[in-house]
Amino acid sequence: MIDHYLQAFATVLLPQNLLAMVLGSLWGLLAGALPGISTSMGVVLLLSFTYSLSPMTAFVLLIGAYLGGITGGSITSILFGIPGEPSSVPTVIEGHAIAKQGRPAYALWVYLLCSIFGGTFSVVVMMVATPLISSFALKFGPPEYFALTVLGLSVVSGLSGGSMLKGFISCFFGLFLATIGTDGITGEERFTFETTTLLGGINFVVAMVGLLAVSEVFIEAEEPFKEYKGGVQYRGMLSEFPPLSLFKKYLLTMIRSPIIGTIVGALPGAGATIAAFLSYGEAARTAKHEPEKFGKGAVEGLMAAECANNASTGGSMTILLSLGLPGSNTTAMMIAAFMIHGMQPGPLLLSSRPDIVYGIFVSMLLTNLLLLGLTILAIRMFLELNRMPYSIFSAAIMILCVIGAYGLNNNMDDVMLMFAFSLIGYAMRKFDIPVAPCILALVLGDLAELSLRRALLLSGGSPLGLLNSPISVILLAGALFSIVYPMFKKPKMLQGL
Amino acid sequence: MKKGEIVFSGVCVAFFGFMLFETLDLLGKGRAGEMGSGLWPFLALSVAAVLSLLLLIASVKKRDAAAPESTAEAIAEKKRQRTTVTLSIVCFLAYILVTPWIGFILATLLYVLAFALSLGERRRWVLALSPFLVTAVIMGVFAKFITIPFPKGIGIFADFSRLFY
Repeated sequence: MIDHYLQAFATVLLPQNLLAMVLGSLWGLLAGALPGISTSMGVVLLLSFTYSLSPMTAFVLLIGAYLGGITGGSITSILFGIPGEPSSVPTVIEGHAIAKQGRPAYALWVYLLCSIFGGTFSVVVMMVATPLISSFALKFGPPEYFALTVLGLSVVSGLSGGSMLKGFISCFFGLFLATIGTDGITGEERFTFETTTLLGGINFVVAMVGLLAVSEVFIEAEEPFKEYKGGVQYRGMLSEFPPLSLFKKYLLTMIRSPIIGTIVGALPGAGATIAAFLSYGEAARTAKHEPEKFGKGAVEGLMAAECANNASTGGSMTILLSLGLPGSNTTAMMIAAFMIHGMQPGPLLLSSRPDIVYGIFVSMLLTNLLLLGLTILAIRMFLELNRMPYSIFSAAIMILCVIGAYGLNNNMDDVMLMFAFSLIGYAMRKFDIPVAPCILALVLGDLAELSLRRALLLSGGSPLGLLNSPISVILLAGALFSIVYPMFKKPKMLQGL
Repeated sequence: MKKGEIVFSGVCVAFFGFMLFETLDLLGKGRAGEMGSGLWPFLALSVAAVLSLLLLIASVKKRDAAAPESTAEAIAEKKRQRTTVTLSIVCFLAYILVTPWIGFILATLLYVLAFALSLGERRRWVLALSPFLVTAVIMGVFAKFITIPFPKGIGIFADFSRLFY
C-alpha cells in the first residue's frame, strides 16, 4: 500500500498534474462562488477538456474543480448572502450575518479553515477506512433513509429562530413543495394544475435562488444603502484571523461535523447539502455557547456547516470508488469521466487501476491544502466586487439569479417560478417566518416520501417495518428526542400563543 | 404590522386549505395495499393548515396588545421603503417578461439602468457606464464563454442580438 501511495505522490506532483490541480481548483472556486454555475456544472464543463488528457491529469483537474466548487460556494454566501451552492445555505444564514455585523474577514477565515479541515479530515478517513464506510453505507435501505430524513427534518427546532410554530409552518410548506410534480412511484400528477412547468417538480435551485437570494435583495432595497455597505467591509484578513481558543471552544463541533459530513457524503444521493444541514442542525440543537445566536450569526453554526459540506466530498468519493455509486450530483458526473477514459468505478477498480484510485486519494489531499492559498486569492477578488455601487451590484446579483434559474433548462418558465419564490421569500422574511426550514424540507421531502413508501412496500404496509433495523431505530429515536426535548426545555414552545 | 400578520396568517390558512382540498382527489390514487400519491401531501398540508390556524389565532390575540404610536417621520420612511421595494419588484418582473421579446442583451442593459434608478441611484457616471459594463461582463462570461443560449428576442431585436451572440 505504501508503494502505491509513493507512486501516486510522484505522479500527482508532475508539473502537468500540478498545473491541472491549480487550474481546476481556480475554476471550481469561480463556479462554486457564482450562483449561475453549480459545482456539478463546473465539472461537466471541464469534461470536454479531459478527452485529450491522460487519465490521471484529467482526474486531478476534475477533483480540483469539485473541491474548489464546494469550497467556493461559501465565498459569495458570506460576503453577499448569495449561496453559490445549495450546501452553502447554512453559511448564508450564519456567515452572512457575521459579515453584516462588520466582520466579513473573520467569517471568511472561520469558513476557510473549517472547510480545509473538514475536507482534509474526510480524505484521511477515506484513505484509512474506505472499506468500513462502504459496508456501512450498504446497510442503508428505505427504512434507514426515511429515519435519516426524519432526523434531518427534526432540526427545524434549531433553525426556527424565535418561534417554533413559524419554523414548523415553513417546514411543512417545504414538504408540500417537494410533492409538486409527477409522483415518482405512481406517475400521478400532483398540484401541477395542468401546466407543463410543474410536471418535473420544483427545482431546488429555482426555489433556493428565489427564496434566499432575490428576496434578500428586495429586503436590502428597503434599507438605506450606506448601512449595508458599511456593514460588509474588508478590514484586512490578517487582523481578523481567529484565535486558536475559538476552535478549542467549539472542539466538539469541530470533531462531530466532519464525521457527519463524511458519513452523510458516503450515503448515495445524500451529498454536501444534506451533510451541511444535518451538521448545522446538530450544532444548533446541542449549542452550549450562545445558542440564541443561531440564525443571527452563530460562528458555531458556520463551523459546523463548513466542516461538514467539505467533508462530504471524501465520503462521496469513497462510495464512488468502492461501489460505483454517486454520493452526490458531482460524483455522478465523475462516472462519465471514468467512462471517457475506459474505466468503470466500483469494487474492481482498486485492483485493476490502483494507480488511479491512490492518485485520486493523493490529489484530493493536496488539492485541499492548495485551496487554503487559492481561496485567499479568490476572497480578495470577490471583496473587490464590494466596491461596486450597491445599486449596480444588486442589479448584477439579480441578473446572476436570472441566469442561475434560466441556465438549468434554458427556459424562462423557471425564471418566472424563481420570481414567484422571491415574492414568497420576501413575505416570509417580512413576517419572520424562517426560510431555512422550508429549504431543508424541500431538499429532504422527496427522499423522505419515497423512502417511506418503499419501506412500507417492503414491509407489506406495516409501519413496524420502519423499526426493523437498529440503525433506523437509533435515528428515529434521535429525531423524536430532538423534537420533544425543546418542548420540555421551553414550555412556551408555541410562542405567541 | 399586526394587521399585516393577521392577513398573512389568513392567506396561509386559505392556501393550505385550498391545497388540502386539491389533495382529496389524489387520496384514492395508487395500487391497492400501497401508500398512494395523496397521503404524504395530505399529511403535510393538514399539519401546515392546523399550524397556520394557530398562527392566525395568535395574531388576532396579539392585535389587542398596545402598539407603539408611529411618528410622521416613521410613516414617511415606511412609505419610501414600500415604494422602493415595489419599484424594484416591478423592474425585476418587467425584465423577466420582456426578455423573450427584446432579447437578453437589450433587456439586461435596460434592467441595470432601471433597477439602479429604482434604488435611488442618481450619479450620472454610474448610470451612464454601469449598464454597459455589467452587460458586457455578463455576456462575455455566460453567452460567449459558457455559451448559454439566452433568448434573442423577436424581429429586429433578434437581428440586434445576433450581432453579439
